Amino acid sequence: METIRNYLEAMFANLPNTTEVKKAKAELLNMMEDKYNELINDGLSENSAVGTVISEFGNLDELAEDLGLTKEVEETRVREASINRRFLRNDEVLDYLNVRKASGLMVGVGVMLCILSVCFPILTAFVDFKNAALFSLMGMFLSIGIAIALFVFSGVRNSEWHFLTSVPCQIDMATAAQVREKRKTFKIAYAFMIALGVMLCSICWLPIAVMRSGIFVISIFTMVAAGVFLFIFSSHIMGIYDTLLKLNDSNTISGSYGKENEVEYVSKAATAVMEVYWTTITCVYLIISFITFRWDISWIIWPIAAVLHKILEVALVKED
Amino acid sequence: MVEISSDVIRGYNDTMILSILLKEPSYGYEISKQIKTITEEKYIMKETTLYSAFTRMEKNGFIESFVAEKDMEGNGKKRTYYRITEEGRNYYESKCEEWELTKDVVEKFIRS
Repeated sequence: METIRNYLEAMFANLPNTTEVKKAKAELLNMMEDKYNELINDGLSENSAVGTVISEFGNLDELAEDLGLTKEVEETRVREASINRRFLRNDEVLDYLNVRKASGLMVGVGVMLCILSVCFPILTAFVDFKNAALFSLMGMFLSIGIAIALFVFSGVRNSEWHFLTSVPCQIDMATAAQVREKRKTFKIAYAFMIALGVMLCSICWLPIAVMRSGIFVISIFTMVAAGVFLFIFSSHIMGIYDTLLKLNDSNTISGSYGKENEVEYVSKAATAVMEVYWTTITCVYLIISFITFRWDISWIIWPIAAVLHKILEVALVKED
Repeated sequence: MVEISSDVIRGYNDTMILSILLKEPSYGYEISKQIKTITEEKYIMKETTLYSAFTRMEKNGFIESFVAEKDMEGNGKKRTYYRITEEGRNYYESKCEEWELTKDVVEKFIRS
């Protein structure tokens, strides 16, 4: 049955993503499924059942005519021929996932090192020892140096995948479903990492408040650095999944791969706003917190953002 | 083996489907199965042909569709059923007459 489903998806992949087309696809799948089940009950082997169903399917040109889609089908055909989509194989997608995950880790660690680098001068300002000045300078520049090396290295590794954003690409339904599944699994870890990050940032002033010793400024930077790492790493990985799921042309059926049961927004602008919502909030939170250094109260941004998100969702989600 | 030319039979796909719907409302696969049985497997209507006919006839008002949560055999599968309308019956009648005439005319030239 999986073969039949994939066959039908492939036939429909480049048709316009309209209600009529979706209805036609669902209805055809239903008929094929009925036929397949009956053939299997009649004692046919899986292979010959699939063969019969596919050979008796017919062709889509005829259907396009009656659905009033002849023009669209022709347009899609011309468009596909002119832009020549790059088709990503399953193993390429998995490869991409690994490279980008590693780069998320490297960028996260890099930013963390940049924040931590200030801990060295702070430490030597409070504790004096032999060669303290040298230690402080060395420590600071070494961590910044490593951070830059990490940025450059991840940039170089990413560069071979640049075509993903510059050339139109396409993935098949099975791969999209696989990415979708990974994204779903990651969502729990994502929520946990963001929550932990917010918590670390919002209580970073606690040690200094309790200990009342200047050296605990270091703990502020350490906890913020860990929090920022969690923000960057988790949203980076989420971003990879979203990039992959958005590769297919959203005007065609293939554009809906991996997006089943996903909420739809009223307009393109609304979708764009909702997509970058949490990333924007994270940036705003970090910028405000770093400028004011009121980590003890800036976390209030999160509950406010959550309420705002709910309101936006109510206002912008498309009713069926 | 001789095969039916799709050009010739195309004009009568709708008639076949309507004739089956005259008895009772039915759904996609059931209709295609009946056509296969009635014609003793001499004609198999392709899925796309069948669905095209449904959309076309629904647009013309010959049939109506409705969604049933369960099919008539009581299986819990959501299905789109089709039922014939009054216009559909009229259309069917006129197609029957048309066929009689067509048959008469063509017959006169077959091996005579």
